[in-house]
Amino acid sequence: MIPDLTSSAGAPRIAAIEHPFSVTLGRPGDAAGQLAVLRAALRALEAMTEPGGVAHLPFEWTSEEKLALFGPPVAPPIAQYLVRHPWALPKFLNRTPPESDG
Amino acid sequence: MIQVAKTVDSYRFLDGIAKRGIKRWAGLPAEAQIPWTPLAKPLSKCTVSLVSSAAIALKADSPFDPEIERRDPWFADPSYRVLPRTTRTGDIRVCHLHINPSFAEQDLNSILPAERLDELVELGEIGAAAPSNYSYMGYTLRPERLLRESLPGMVRQLREEHVDAVVLVPV
Repeated sequence: MIPDLTSSAGAPRIAAIEHPFSVTLGRPGDAAGQLAVLRAALRALEAMTEPGGVAHLPFEWTSEEKLALFGPPVAPPIAQYLVRHPWALPKFLNRTPPESDG
Repeated sequence: MIQVAKTVDSYRFLDGIAKRGIKRWAGLPAEAQIPWTPLAKPLSKCTVSLVSSAAIALKADSPFDPEIERRDPWFADPSYRVLPRTTRTGDIRVCHLHINPSFAEQDLNSILPAERLDELVELGEIGAAAPSNYSYMGYTLRPERLLRESLPGMVRQLREEHVDAVVLVPV
């Protein structure tokens, strides 16, 4: 879903899909679509012979729903925290969280 | 479903701070070494398991604890759950605080395609679906406890069940 990020994490094989969050394989009830995505991902696995390969799966998400539909009903805790503590944004952007208390 | 030749846009479904943050993270120094094990047999002979980062738990099991993340928003529940191959939509709850769980609660295959995996077995395209699939909470900015406490158990069970390949499904 975010092949740029997954690549930077060193995943050995990536099958990239351009789907919204929450519906990685496809819409609820779309068994044929889900099967096609899973099949393509597994065939990509079989085809890749070098570490770090990225296969861009050929599926087009065509609907126009608002992004918010695929997000959580309530803003996640980190989003709420950053609104209240905007000075912590650099730590979030640099992925350098403060030390844990526990 | 429409199929086209494409290059996936990593940021199409992101906006605001999430987009900014993830773009920044993707540009941080990459992992120096990519782990690699060649596929030892054709896919049609492989046992395949699924791992989901959606914090899926059986209703009969303890849920992932959202209070851990609410107390410390940089961290989340580092545990994992085992989801038997026969797990279906009505058996689970989704505990991830960064997604809309309602899609998976209508059809688990949207994020953990266990039934689709069974269909690929029936079609002869994979050898077997593993007895167990797994889930953990994919959001955390302190992954050390997840890696130290949960990963060994998952790996041990994957080996015990002779799994040849894992599909790690993000959300």
